[in-house]
Amino acid sequence: MTWNEQLDKLLKKVEKPARYIGGELYSADKDPREVDTRFAFAFPDTYEIGMSYLGLQIIYHVLNKMERVYCERVFAPAQDMEALLREEQLPLFTLETGTPLSEMDIVGFTLQYELSYTNILNILDLAGIPLKSEDRGEEHPFIAAGGPCAFNPEPLAPVLDFIMLGDGEDALREVCEAHRSWKASGAPKREFLEEICRLPGIYVPSFYEPVYGENGVFSHMKKLYDGAPDKVEKRMVENLDEADFPEHTIVPLIDVVHDRAVVEIFRGCTRGCRFCQAGMIYRPVRERSAERIKALAKSQIEATGYDEMSILSLSTSDYSKIEPLVTDLMSTCRENNVALSLPSLRLDSFSFNVLQEIQGYKKSGLTFAPEAGTQRLRDVINKNITEKDIYGAMEQAAELGWNGVKLYFMIGLPTETYEDLDGIAEVAQNIMDVACQANGGRRGRFHVTVSVSNFVPKAHTPFQWCAQDSEESFREKHIYLKDKLRKIKGVTFNYHETHTSHLEAVFARGDRRVCDTLIKAWELGCRFDGWSEHFRYDTWLEAFRQTGISDDFYAFQELSTDAPLPWDHIDCGVSKAFLRSEWEKALKEVCTQDCRRGCAGCGINSRTTCEREGTL
Amino acid sequence: MSRYVIQFYKKGAMRFISHLDLLRLFKRTFKRTGIKLIYSQGFNPHPKMSFVQPLSLGYSSEKEYLDFETVEQFSCEDIVSRLNTALPKGVGLTDCRQLAPSKRTLAAVVEYGSYTATFRMGGTLSIAELKEKLAAFLALNEIIVEKKQKKTGKLVQQNIRPMILDMTLEEADPKSAGGGEGNNNITLTLLVCAGSNRNLNPEVLLKAFCESCGVPFIPEEAELTRNELYYKKPGSEQLLSIFDCQPSAESEAF
Repeated sequence: MTWNEQLDKLLKKVEKPARYIGGELYSADKDPREVDTRFAFAFPDTYEIGMSYLGLQIIYHVLNKMERVYCERVFAPAQDMEALLREEQLPLFTLETGTPLSEMDIVGFTLQYELSYTNILNILDLAGIPLKSEDRGEEHPFIAAGGPCAFNPEPLAPVLDFIMLGDGEDALREVCEAHRSWKASGAPKREFLEEICRLPGIYVPSFYEPVYGENGVFSHMKKLYDGAPDKVEKRMVENLDEADFPEHTIVPLIDVVHDRAVVEIFRGCTRGCRFCQAGMIYRPVRERSAERIKALAKSQIEATGYDEMSILSLSTSDYSKIEPLVTDLMSTCRENNVALSLPSLRLDSFSFNVLQEIQGYKKSGLTFAPEAGTQRLRDVINKNITEKDIYGAMEQAAELGWNGVKLYFMIGLPTETYEDLDGIAEVAQNIMDVACQANGGRRGRFHVTVSVSNFVPKAHTPFQWCAQDSEESFREKHIYLKDKLRKIKGVTFNYHETHTSHLEAVFARGDRRVCDTLIKAWELGCRFDGWSEHFRYDTWLEAFRQTGISDDFYAFQELSTDAPLPWDHIDCGVSKAFLRSEWEKALKEVCTQDCRRGCAGCGINSRTTCEREGTL
Repeated sequence: MSRYVIQFYKKGAMRFISHLDLLRLFKRTFKRTGIKLIYSQGFNPHPKMSFVQPLSLGYSSEKEYLDFETVEQFSCEDIVSRLNTALPKGVGLTDCRQLAPSKRTLAAVVEYGSYTATFRMGGTLSIAELKEKLAAFLALNEIIVEKKQKKTGKLVQQNIRPMILDMTLEEADPKSAGGGEGNNNITLTLLVCAGSNRNLNPEVLLKAFCESCGVPFIPEEAELTRNELYYKKPGSEQLLSIFDCQPSAESEAF
């Protein structure tokens, strides 16, 4: 049987076989013999999730534009496919050419969330690639990673040959150029790593060794190769207008989570919420010009035939010329029979006008993220939103005919008390009252959904030193809120599972030692931990037990601000001194201004210009 | 306003996309190629286009048909060339015809479909013996299969014999897909009811036949292709390709 026939046989047995066939419009079709670098972009979750991720489209576009590089894709196979591959002893393969992953030159994973890590191991294993870099030979591909979780890469350090920090466009191009010359030289793999660790943004973990002091506390990083930098600075694309952005995005054949045209309007965020990792690591704000956004939107719509388009950023309304931009995009979309969707819009009167127009009769999807129930706690987390903002917007929403809102809160935030939880219920109640009033005293069909997630301290944020709440405490708070909110008519309460939040905390602040637990958990069968139907907490606990690693050590410890941290050698551009002062201000309930009102002194402007500094 | 029917194939990896995926693919392809379709009125406007008969996931097809209405008039050649440049490999147009405007869709007219199934027959029967088995199978007045009712989930018995027009068995071409090397690779050609009125799933028939030969039918190991869709003119017994149908000319006597 040929490989294609073997593959066909599998495809006939699995659910959603088109996850594995490639062949979509604008997927790259190159002759592998005509390239020097075969790069697999690996997304450690299913096709439907991976294909909704814009970063994949950008990287794919950037790499395939290079004549001597062929970027292909691989996703985590669903469990039915995994079982068949193992049963038939067939290797995991790329979508574009069906090539076994082990034949690639570089396999690059994107680290979007901690709970996808077991899928990384599973992908490597299904490809017959040894999990740890030290066990791999000259014949194996380089295993790399990038993305937000790469800012604390230590839990995966033993697995990865190199890690790319920050914006990938330029770094990947340079890595591939370096790969081409290295390949031509015929030198051993180590020389390639020695070469690329000099490139800004590239971290080669095997050139560093963590040293732990007494009690097993992290002490410092020992450099094992002199040519490696002491600190690895993240890469930044300075000018988004000059950065490559795909117009011909791959158009999936099957239904994926976000199946639409999308243009990124800016990177970074000026608001400085203290729990938010994205708000720190993607600094500073870099906007794409309105002209370029409009041109990209138009050409993407024309090239793909999508009937929906969206714009992407951390906070849509903060775009400097958002009103004219949205007005123009609305007219482009209208002319092309395309529905425009605007995520993370701040609810001011302009937004309402826009939403009225684009949503028409289908009034859906109003969301608000106060994050905390009291002004005090919102000051602690530096979430600059007031109750007046919320109620004013809700009054308007109810008057305009919206019949519901979804509210996002976080619990377990530092300094939180039960008064703050009461505040959550009060906000929900007050919104209900406002809506009733606007509706002539009747509730009508107005509905409030309160969605609560559990705070996870993340590296490179002012809250990186905080302890996470215990699972017991989370559960008590959930019960408390459930009870309070049950008494308010028209309120639905959702909350996140505590086990997954706990595990996230372990890996968000983990050091190299937790890698053994990760591997053990995978060996014991953990996969797709982000999927509640697949998540097996007992197995995870067993993995911690067997590897002698304490999950509590990583999740529940409040770290000293003077102590060295396992990710100190990763430099995201925001200084530790700034994070420390933000943490101290948080404890004093003091806000820090949005940097559009004046520099907050995070340190990023020592590396680049902040175009939005002081513009408000 | 103009109305057309296109004839296209769906094969290779594209047989793994579903009916709904194909619908979405055509919707986007029309959009991309600047062929504006007429949209229905109402709260949830959708383009006026319909497949003559949905094709199951995993099946190849030589001749599928899509019936649609456009805002502007195009030549059939123009439609074929525009869509063919924009469709992914594995889906392509072979022809296009204009239809007279009519409320009646081709989906309402189609009655029969022809399929080929190539697979390895288990058991020890030779091709000649299998042919005899088939003759005996077709000589039955009743072929009863159990079918799950969609709504209730109850198993009901159904006689599928009246929905079988013809069935032939050959030794598979060793070079054909699903043929392969080895013994007892057979190709069955089926002519069965296909349409909104009466429809026989080829796999139900293949299972019934294999069981009559004392072997199981393993769907994953069969290569299934739809060859053509047919209709009959009232009062005539001749099967005509649905592509030759002008629905406006077909009376409501159906």
